[in-house]
Amino acid sequence: MVVVAQLVERWLVVPDVAGSSPVIHPMFVDSSPVLSSTDVERDTTTETRVMPDVPWQTIVWNDPVNLMTYVTHVFRTYFGYSKPEAERLMLQVHNDGRAIVATGPREEMERHTEAMHEYGLWATVDRVS
Amino acid sequence: MRIEPEITGVLIELTPMERRLLSTLLVQYDEMVHDQLDDGDLAGDPALSRLFPNAYPDDDEAAAEFRRYTRDGLVERKSANSGLISAALTASSDEERLTVARDDAEHWLPALTDLRLVLAERLGIHQDDDPLPENELADVYEWLGELQWALIEALD
Repeated sequence: MVVVAQLVERWLVVPDVAGSSPVIHPMFVDSSPVLSSTDVERDTTTETRVMPDVPWQTIVWNDPVNLMTYVTHVFRTYFGYSKPEAERLMLQVHNDGRAIVATGPREEMERHTEAMHEYGLWATVDRVS
Repeated sequence: MRIEPEITGVLIELTPMERRLLSTLLVQYDEMVHDQLDDGDLAGDPALSRLFPNAYPDDDEAAAEFRRYTRDGLVERKSANSGLISAALTASSDEERLTVARDDAEHWLPALTDLRLVLAERLGIHQDDDPLPENELADVYEWLGELQWALIEALD
């Protein structure tokens, strides 16, 4: 197992490399708000967002860390998917980079996304396109 | 490390060194998830951005709102998950095997995942085919993966 003879005290701390800045996946960088002149367009967006009938989806994205068995386990225990269905979704995440794991009202999709974040899975919410 | 399924849960046998390792990591993890509440600036640490992903990458306003409504609860639950492992380690002597109830073991899994997510960030693992460096930190990362894998096997 691990060689822990010298227990490094601060393993989880950001390496303090002078002059370097952390590499952040583009996904995690909030782009600066774009306030264009197309205010009408923004209004349309807002309007669409509050419409109850527009379906939303929870998307789980691939990452190089989570074990395939873990992702399957989460899909089974949280969503209650059968083992074959959970495995199918897990493989879709792994092979295609993402999978839609749930579709429905926005609030529900946000709850699922929050749950996925608790599980350490990389999930986002989006309107069904 | 040895893990066996039991009727009501899982039996976990860790060496004293493994126990110390896990405890150390969990203390740091707990500090990490709580500290981010103070400044709220996750961009300062990409690992935190992975623990609390942006739910709306294409919509800043919705992203901020999601953060506002979920962050405190997520911190609380992530902390509670890791606290369950810490408590189990504290409540038993070095020589004892841990008897972890099924429900508790389910909460071990996300905490172990989060530890691996942070270590992966420190190890520079961003893509599926990124090589694992040959160092002690990478050994810890792999060990956590084995522990999690064995726990899932026992639970499934």
